[in-house]
Amino acid sequence: MFSLPLFKQSVRSNAVIWGSITGVMSLLCVQFAALEMTQSLLFVIFYGMMTTILPAIYVLVTANKLIAGQVDRGSMAYVLSTPIKRSAVTFTQIVFMTLSLILMFAVQTLMHLAVNAAKPITLATAMGDPKLPVQGDLTAEMILKVNLSALLVCIALGAVCLMFSGIFNSSKYSIGMSGVFTGVSVLSNMLAMFGRLGVSGLDKFKYLTICTFYDHQSVLSGNNDWAVKMIFPALIAVAAYMICGIVFKKKDLPL
Amino acid sequence: MPELIRINELTKDYGKGRGIFGLDISIEQGEIYGLVGTNGSGKTTTMRHLMGFIRPDSGSCEIMGTDCRKHPEKIMKHLGYVPGQIDFPDVGSGTDFLKIQAQYLGIKDMAYTEQLIDRFKIDTSAPLRRMSKGMKQKMALVAAFMAKPDVLLLDEPSTGLDPVMRDSLTELILEQKQRGATVFMSSHIFKELQDTCDKVTFINEGRMIDTISRDLHKSDLPGLYRIGFADKAQYLDFKAKTTFETEACNDEYLHLTAVVPIQRTNELIAQLAGYDMRYVRCVPYTLEMYYKKYIENGGAA
Repeated sequence: MFSLPLFKQSVRSNAVIWGSITGVMSLLCVQFAALEMTQSLLFVIFYGMMTTILPAIYVLVTANKLIAGQVDRGSMAYVLSTPIKRSAVTFTQIVFMTLSLILMFAVQTLMHLAVNAAKPITLATAMGDPKLPVQGDLTAEMILKVNLSALLVCIALGAVCLMFSGIFNSSKYSIGMSGVFTGVSVLSNMLAMFGRLGVSGLDKFKYLTICTFYDHQSVLSGNNDWAVKMIFPALIAVAAYMICGIVFKKKDLPL
Repeated sequence: MPELIRINELTKDYGKGRGIFGLDISIEQGEIYGLVGTNGSGKTTTMRHLMGFIRPDSGSCEIMGTDCRKHPEKIMKHLGYVPGQIDFPDVGSGTDFLKIQAQYLGIKDMAYTEQLIDRFKIDTSAPLRRMSKGMKQKMALVAAFMAKPDVLLLDEPSTGLDPVMRDSLTELILEQKQRGATVFMSSHIFKELQDTCDKVTFINEGRMIDTISRDLHKSDLPGLYRIGFADKAQYLDFKAKTTFETEACNDEYLHLTAVVPIQRTNELIAQLAGYDMRYVRCVPYTLEMYYKKYIENGGAA
């Protein structure tokens, strides 16, 4: 079911983009968490936007390269001319996509945990206003929960992109559909955030994006909404991965 | 010899007359089988069916008794494939690619691979993306042959190779036959099929025109004789009087090519008896001529 050589091949061809996106994300996280002038923006700009935009770029490019790109270029012929089932191809690429996102968030979470341990910020600052009447500091547990929530939404984004990659034989359609999907998701999320910050009317955009299921505010305010909302991206991811596997197994390949 | 590859009434209609229609081919173990046709005649479509990449509209194909579309992974254990379009996975250098390919195929001993690399004179340390067309083709050949597979599917394997390498390829294919492997190859280059294939099937616009076996003399194809005459008067005289069809004639160099059915060979010699000739040569009947004849006849056999 799982093909180690294919996994290695995927690691090899996606290591550069993974490394750069993870690097940028970790660096931004450290900067927002460590510098006093940006600490109040940590949850607005970094956790509000960057944790979806940056992984979205990664999944958009990588998902296409994992399947559709190889079919389009014809290099998938070398994979499929070996004793490997098509279902093993999709399964391996799903594993790669999921694991690489988990690792990406693990790296940036560890960086944040390290910074937070050295230079803790108050919960009020994390909520955007140091003068808010809330007690306590941003805890390691909160950081873990926020990142877990972001990770799951990103896995769902990745799964949908991989689904398009499995459906289409040509990169332009795969990238096109994934681009529209991730673009709408990420942009709507940003607009919805402006809505939350007071721009009236824009809050309706939250219905257009799966990033709504990523609820960092609920983590900060200590309720369990974030955990309940994680069911939806998980279901979306499973459904998208399944469609990817089934379509890729059945379709004609121009190799 | 048992049948190894069976293509049964295979049809795939892409519309507008493209595709393949009712292909019926049987290949025995140890045979080298050629598929020849112009561009777009359906060679690659046939290969793709055998690889299990596409589902036929009707009909089926089997390799070693296994349906190609249902369980391709079972067949791939015994099969080497050179695709018609060559593009490698994005894995860096040629060496990296061959290593990963060896892992897929479960090859531990790379001695034969090294031997193939030497034979084709490839610099595998070069990045795959910068390799020239011929270099890529040679890499693809090494990848297909390295596991010493029982069955080889080669889709236009000589594309981009220089003449010396083309000869190496011919030699390599013949070695596979000696080893007992079965080869199914497509080409529009007649020479390489002629040098290697036991049987050749012609296809045009997705339909089989004819299948001929390697021993062309056994078939009732007419012989071709090129006759050079000593002077113009003799040349013109023979040209006017002969009862044989002339395939080609050259008034300047005073020679012509006569088409002589096998049973009328004596007749030709008799007719030529009184003439002063520079030479008489039997021209080997190339597949190309054969193929041309079919195209000229409107592609219908």
